[in-house]
Amino acid sequence: MIRPARTLLLGLAAFASLLGCSRQDDRTEIYLQRFFGECGAVYGAAVDLSAAEGECGIITALINRFNAENPDVHVEVNVVAWPGYPQLAAQLAAGDPPDLVTMHQDFIADYMTRGLLEPIDPLLAQAGIGPQNFTAAARRGVVKGGRVWALPWDTVGGLWHVNTRLFQQAGLWRGGHPVFPTSPEELIAHARQFRARTGRPYLIQSQVNDPATHVRNFYTFYLAQGVPVFPQPNRIRLATPEAKQVIEFLRLLNSEGLSTRDQDNPAAIASFMNGEGGVFPTGTWMIGNFQQEAETEGRPLHASYSVYPYPRLFGQRPTPVVGGHSWVMPARERSDAQRAAIARLFRFMAAHNFDWSRTGHIPAFQAVVDSPEFRALPHRTNIAPLAETGTPFPAVKLQGPIEGLVGEEISAAIMGQKDVDAALRDAERRVNELLAVSF
Amino acid sequence: MTGPGVWNRWGGFAFVAPFLLLYSFLLIYPLINGIILSFHNADLFGGQRFIGLGNYRRLLGDPIFHQSIFNTFKLAFIIVPILTAISLALALALNRPGRTPAVFRGLFFSSSVLSVTIVTLIWRFILTPDAGLMAELLEAVGADPIPWLSHPDLTIPALAITTIWWSVGLPMMLFLAGLQQIPEDMYEAAALDRAGKWTTFRKITLPSLKRTTVLVVMLQTAAQLQIFGQAQLLTAGGPSGASRPIVLYIYEVSFGRWELGYATALAEMLFLLIIAVTLIQYWTGARGQER
Amino acid sequence: MAASPSRRSMSKGAWIGLTLGAILMAAPLVWTLLLSIKANGELMRDSGTAFSPPYTLENYAAILQGNMVFRWLINSVIVSLGTTLGVLALCSLAGYGFARLDFPFRKTLFVFVLLGLAIPEQAVILPQHRLFADLGLHNSYPGLILPGLAGPFGVFFMTQYFRAIPRDLDEAAMLDGASRFTTFWKVLLPLTAPAQATLGVFTFLGTWNSYWWPLISATRGDMFTLTVGLASSQMNYAQTSGLGFLMAQAVFASIPIFIVYLIFQKQIVGAMAGAAVK
Repeated sequence: MIRPARTLLLGLAAFASLLGCSRQDDRTEIYLQRFFGECGAVYGAAVDLSAAEGECGIITALINRFNAENPDVHVEVNVVAWPGYPQLAAQLAAGDPPDLVTMHQDFIADYMTRGLLEPIDPLLAQAGIGPQNFTAAARRGVVKGGRVWALPWDTVGGLWHVNTRLFQQAGLWRGGHPVFPTSPEELIAHARQFRARTGRPYLIQSQVNDPATHVRNFYTFYLAQGVPVFPQPNRIRLATPEAKQVIEFLRLLNSEGLSTRDQDNPAAIASFMNGEGGVFPTGTWMIGNFQQEAETEGRPLHASYSVYPYPRLFGQRPTPVVGGHSWVMPARERSDAQRAAIARLFRFMAAHNFDWSRTGHIPAFQAVVDSPEFRALPHRTNIAPLAETGTPFPAVKLQGPIEGLVGEEISAAIMGQKDVDAALRDAERRVNELLAVSF
Repeated sequence: MTGPGVWNRWGGFAFVAPFLLLYSFLLIYPLINGIILSFHNADLFGGQRFIGLGNYRRLLGDPIFHQSIFNTFKLAFIIVPILTAISLALALALNRPGRTPAVFRGLFFSSSVLSVTIVTLIWRFILTPDAGLMAELLEAVGADPIPWLSHPDLTIPALAITTIWWSVGLPMMLFLAGLQQIPEDMYEAAALDRAGKWTTFRKITLPSLKRTTVLVVMLQTAAQLQIFGQAQLLTAGGPSGASRPIVLYIYEVSFGRWELGYATALAEMLFLLIIAVTLIQYWTGARGQER
Repeated sequence: MAASPSRRSMSKGAWIGLTLGAILMAAPLVWTLLLSIKANGELMRDSGTAFSPPYTLENYAAILQGNMVFRWLINSVIVSLGTTLGVLALCSLAGYGFARLDFPFRKTLFVFVLLGLAIPEQAVILPQHRLFADLGLHNSYPGLILPGLAGPFGVFFMTQYFRAIPRDLDEAAMLDGASRFTTFWKVLLPLTAPAQATLGVFTFLGTWNSYWWPLISATRGDMFTLTVGLASSQMNYAQTSGLGFLMAQAVFASIPIFIVYLIFQKQIVGAMAGAAVK
C-alpha cells in the first residue's frame, strides 16, 4: 500500500527537480553584484517601477521587471555592503568576479588601468546606444582613452541645499530665487548679513569625520581656476597660490563663525532639517529626504526648501565636482549568450534611467535630462546644469587613495589644525610618493 | 611518569599533531608567503617584482608608519592597565554566589557580546558632538559639546573609552576562572591568623592570580596592538592620522592601494613588535612561576 | 568550595562603585535599544527623540521580513558552532599534550604556537585568501570554519589550565593502568569544565562577530554570515536615514549570543560552586 505511494512521490519529486533543472539550463545567467541595500521585504517581487521609492526599491523593481520581461535570461542579484570594494578586490584576486558590478565612476580608472575591466563598446552598439546619448558629465566619467568602460547610471554631485525662508529673512532673495555670491568676498559679506539678520550661521557643514566634503568643496572651487592638478601623469601639483587661496577661504568660514563646525553628517542633516542654517552643501542624494520635509506641515523646512548647483566663486566657468554610479564588466570568461544578455540589460536600463532619477541623482542620458517628466520633478530644472558642467575628480589612477590623502591634509588645514602651506606640501609629497611606487 | 619508551617519547605528538597541522598549514604557511611577498613590489592581482629590502627601507623612512606605531603603543598603554585593573576589581567583587552578582556579571559581560561594527555604531551616537547621547546630556547642564571624534587630542581617548567599555567582559571571566582555582584553605588559614582584607588580598589573592594576570595582560596587549575596527569606523584614523593605528594603515595600503608587498612588510614589522612585547611580558611573568 | 570568599559582604564603597560601573556599562545599551524602537524619520531630525514616545517595532518587523535573514542566521550558527566544537576538541588535546606529556621539541613547539598569538590578522588575511582560492574553499562552510581552528589562543589557554591541575590525579590514574588517552578523557578533561565553557564562549563570540574573513571569503549572498549580511542590507547613508533600523539590526544580531552566554553562565557558576579541586 505504502510502496506505490512512495514510489509515486519519489517519481514526482524527481520529475519536479528535473523540471527545475531544465529551466535553469535554458536560461542565460548573469551574476550582478550591487550595493544600494536589501529591501526584499517590501519589493521582493515588485515590477511596478513607478510605484517604487528609494535607491533600493527602484533598482530591485527594475531588475525584477527585466527578469519578468526576459524569461530566457536570469539576472542573479548579489547585494553587498557599501561600497563593495574590499569584496570586489578579493573576488578579482581569486579570479571569480561577478558579471556586472556597481562601481563609482571615480574608481573606474584604477581597475581599468590594471586590465581588470572589459570595455563595453561592442555591447553598447548591440544595445543601440553610445556615448553620444550620455550627458557630458557621464561621458567624462566613463569614457577613458577613447573607450567606454561602464554604463553610466547617474551623476551624483554636490549641491547647495537652501532654506529659502531664512534667505528671504536675510534679504538675500530676488525674483523667486536666492541671491548667491559671485566671489569669495561677496560670500563673506552675504554670510555676515545673513547672520546679522537671522541670528543663524549662513552655512551648515558636515566637517567632522567627513574629508569627502572638504575635498569636494576644495576641488569645485580650485578646478574652476584652470590650474592643472596633474601636470604630468605621475605627479600631482597642489602647492599653488590658487589652492592656498581656496583653502584659506574655506578656513576663514570656520574661524569667522560663518559655518557650523562640530557636526558630522547625521548632525548636519538634522540641523538643516530643523531650520538652523541657510545653506547645507551636500549632495543629490539628500533631495528626496529634504523634499519630504518640505512637504510636511509643521516641520521647520515646510515650504522653505530649494536646491541649486554650487555658485561659481572662483575662476571663469563653474566646475562642480561630481561622481556617479555606473555598471562595469569585470574581465572574465563569458559566453556570447551572456554578452548578448548583458547588452539587452544595458538597453533596458538606459530606457528606464528616468525612474532612477527619482532618487535625486541626475540622469546619465541626455534625453532624460531634457525630458519634460524629469524637469517636472521638484527642483530638477535648477540642478539640471550639473549634467553639463559636472567635472570628475582629477586623477589618472589610484583615485581612492589619492582622494583619501588629499582629504586628510586639506581637512586638517580647513579645520585650523594644520598650517595651509604645510598641508598642501605634505599632500603633494605623499601623493607623489604613492604614485612613484605604484605599478 | 613511566611507560613504554617509544610511546613516552613520541606519543605526545598524537595529541598536539591535529592542531599543529592546521596551524602550520593555515596560519604559518600564509605567514611565510606574506614574508616572501614583503620582499617584492607586489600588487593584489598578481603583479610581482623582487625588490629585496626596498619595502623595509621605505617604511623606516615613512612618517605615517612612525605615527601609526606611536599611536598603537599609546593606545595599548592606556587601555591595557585600565582594563586589567577594572576587570580584576569586577571579578573580585562579583566572585560570589547569588542572583545579584550573577546579574551584574551578565551586565558587564554583555558588551563583549557585540561585534565591532555595532560597538562603534553605538559609541558614535554617544560621542558625536552634536547629536550624541553625551552631547544631549552636556546640553542639559549647559556645557559645551566635546569634539571627541574630531579633535586630535581626543580621538585616542575616545577609542580607549570605547575599547575598554567593549572589552571588560572577557578578562573579567578569565579572572573569575582564576579566582576559582584558589583553594579555600588558604583563606581559612589567613582568617585564622586574623589577617585584614587588604593583607589577604596582597599576600594570597594577588600572588595566586599571578598566572592569570600575566595571561590577561599578554592577551590584551597583543590584542590592543592590533586594534583596528574601532579606529576605522569611529574616527577613520583621524583627524589627519592622529588616531590611526598600524593595522588601519596596513588595511589602507592593502585594500585601498592594493600594495600587497608594502602592506605585508608593515605587517611583518608589527608581528616582530608583538613578539618582542609578548616575550618580554612572558619572561617577566614566568620568573618565579616555574616549579 | 573553591570560590574565594574574600569578603562576606561588600563595603558600601564597593557597592557604589559597582552600581556606577553598571550604569556606565548599561547606558549605551539602553540608548541602542531606545534608538531601535524609534522610527527612522524621527531620528533623522533629532536623535533626542529616542527619549520620548511614540515607539514602534517597525524596524524589527522590517528585519524579520527580509528573506535572507534566517539563512544568514543559520550560516552564523553553523560556522560559530563548528568552529567552537573544533577549537575545543583540538585545543583540549593539544593543551593536555603540552602540559602533561613529554615529547621531543615540546618546548620549542610550544613557543612556535605562542608566536601565533603575535600574528596580526591583516598580515595573513590576503595570503590566506589566495590559499583558499587555490583550494576552492571560498563560499563554503569549511572555508569559514577552518581559519578559526588555526588560532593558537585556545591551545595556550588550555595548556595553562591543564598545568594548574595537580599531577597526583594523573599519577593515580596511571597507577590504575589507564592509558594516556583514558587519563585525558576520563580524569582530566572533566575537570576543565570551566575552561571549556570560557574558551567555548570566547570562540563562539569571536567567530560570530568576525567580519573581515567572512566578508572576503563568502561573497555570495546565500553564504553571508549574519554580521556581513546585515551590513549588506543597509542602504547607503544608513546612518542618517536608517538609524533606527541599523540599531534594530545590532540588537537582533546580538540576541543569539546573549542566549549562548546566558546558557553558559549557569555552567560556569555551577562549575565554580561545585568544583572540588583541592
